[in-house]
Amino acid sequence: MAGVLLDNVAKIYPGGVNAVRGVSFAVPDGGLCVLVGPSGCGKSTLLRMVAGLETVTSGAISIGARVVNDIEPMARDIAMVFQNYALYPHMSVYDNMAYGLRNLKTPEPEISARVRDAARILELSDEMLKRKPRALSGGQRQRVAMGRAIVRKPAVFLFDEPLSNLDAKLRVQMRVEIRRLQRRLKTTALYVTHDQLEAMTLADMLVVMNAGRVEQVGAPLELYERPATTFVAGFLGSPPMNFLNGKIEAQGLARMENGEALAYDAGHFGPPIGADIIAGVRPERTSFAAGEDGLAFKLELVEELGLGRLVHGRVGAAPYAVALPPGAPLPPGETARLAIAAGDVHLFDGKSGVRL
Amino acid sequence: MVENRRLGDFFAHLILIAGVAIVAFPVYMAVVASTLDADTIANGQMGLLPGSHGLENYRRLLFEGTSYTTRAPVYGMLVVSLISALGIAIGKIAISLISAYAIVYFRFPLRMIAFWLIFLTLMLPVEVRIYPTYKIVADLHMLDSYAGLTIPLIASATATLLFRQFFMTVPDELAEAAKIDGAGPMQFFRDVLLPLSRTNLAALFVILFIYGWNQYLWPLLITTRDDMQPIVVGIKKIVSTHDALTEWQLAMATAVLAMLPPVLVVVGMQKMFVKGLVETEK
Repeated sequence: MAGVLLDNVAKIYPGGVNAVRGVSFAVPDGGLCVLVGPSGCGKSTLLRMVAGLETVTSGAISIGARVVNDIEPMARDIAMVFQNYALYPHMSVYDNMAYGLRNLKTPEPEISARVRDAARILELSDEMLKRKPRALSGGQRQRVAMGRAIVRKPAVFLFDEPLSNLDAKLRVQMRVEIRRLQRRLKTTALYVTHDQLEAMTLADMLVVMNAGRVEQVGAPLELYERPATTFVAGFLGSPPMNFLNGKIEAQGLARMENGEALAYDAGHFGPPIGADIIAGVRPERTSFAAGEDGLAFKLELVEELGLGRLVHGRVGAAPYAVALPPGAPLPPGETARLAIAAGDVHLFDGKSGVRL
Repeated sequence: MVENRRLGDFFAHLILIAGVAIVAFPVYMAVVASTLDADTIANGQMGLLPGSHGLENYRRLLFEGTSYTTRAPVYGMLVVSLISALGIAIGKIAISLISAYAIVYFRFPLRMIAFWLIFLTLMLPVEVRIYPTYKIVADLHMLDSYAGLTIPLIASATATLLFRQFFMTVPDELAEAAKIDGAGPMQFFRDVLLPLSRTNLAALFVILFIYGWNQYLWPLLITTRDDMQPIVVGIKKIVSTHDALTEWQLAMATAVLAMLPPVLVVVGMQKMFVKGLVETEK
């Protein structure tokens, strides 16, 4: 059992590509930390540095109390689950799981006990243990890959987009299983994904990365409710947050680009009057107003999701989506007014995109 | 349509059968000739049916040799051929496996230069570099030895390239998983890469065994002793007699014997051979 600590970790590839630029955060012992971000943001590189598959250019990575920068992957007390499973194709499922333990010179009865134990937890039958990976379905291979990780009883699990190769339905199912398994084993885990939904549902702690930097760290709901930057606000949530450009007109009132006014909660330190801002509003926190107040909205397209409706349109020139609960009526015509509570408006700096 | 396809099938088979007959008939004639006595062949009365001297011909050939020319029993030639073909095939595979492994999985200085040097030897088969190679082998006192028969033929770019291509299709994650599982480089090679290359190994073994078995020019050049001659060289010596009648029945028997081992290797390893050339799943 051990936490993971990253202290100003950076990675510059020999070609000069700066993949990770000074990342610091700490994963508490037993926590599940999800690294999320668009492809190329450095999240996989970071995970591979923790695994010891990439060298660390600068900074320190600690597992438990030990700095592991120069320690071989196998001695780091970690186990990794790869996106394409990386099972040894010529070995049976049993041997796949036992291989790492055999290299550690674990006695054979102990190996057998641990593998069977893992197989039981993952609901892999005895008959399946004898098969080769190619005779298994995608979901089963995924379980075997996880089994290979848990038999080692590592201090830290590393997951590199483990569900990306599964179909949508299985992905939801395996997501729940990974969460359950991690809770049960109470093993610290680092989990990389580009899927914000996976990230939101799995994480104790969410690290949003962009272009090699950490944008924000925190509990998933915290990030969802109070995104630190427009990037985080736009990345978490589906459909993403709507953004409208404008200027502060008075404390608690912003004038949007289309000339209309939008009220915001002026509780804290408000931005100076006249400042350029970006106002962010979640689609599900927007509804249609009955009267003539609110921003003018031009309706373009309606998506029926079953779980509700998604209404796409524009406010001025900016695209804007409204998520309606099931049964909520659509506005009668092509245009409508948006009802937005002042407390649901997020304000970001117009240039840097940082939360105000 | 059905009618047409039948007709098509019929013609296809007809052509294939004709092709097989063209290839197989001379071989059949060699087998027939090897069972006749010397007089029948010399008189030009050879028919299409096997004669009754087969057993005697083969026994004499294998254990005593021909009357005039080489005098060495063919049994010895078969042993020489077998040892050198196996040596060439196994040596080539071993060397190319490890060199391909080094080139694909290790980052060392001058790696690409090493690769291109190996690649370059594709353009320098034994026939091209025969004089310098002969000189080296002679200086090292390897004439008339198995070392001389095999070592110069072992270095092989073809096999190295083949394994390189194969190793590059093995997903990187497999090597990384092995690293995390605590397997060192040699262990990864032995436990993962070798078993995965099994079918490629088999395919390559078949090709290289036949290559080694069919070597003619090089053994002809560096062997002088009759007991260090492979059978392919032996056939030629049995056929070309200067002042005596060629014992055609024995020459044919030698040819048949020379054909057998490659055929056995191909037939025996056919399944793996095909798998190794077409299999894509990793």
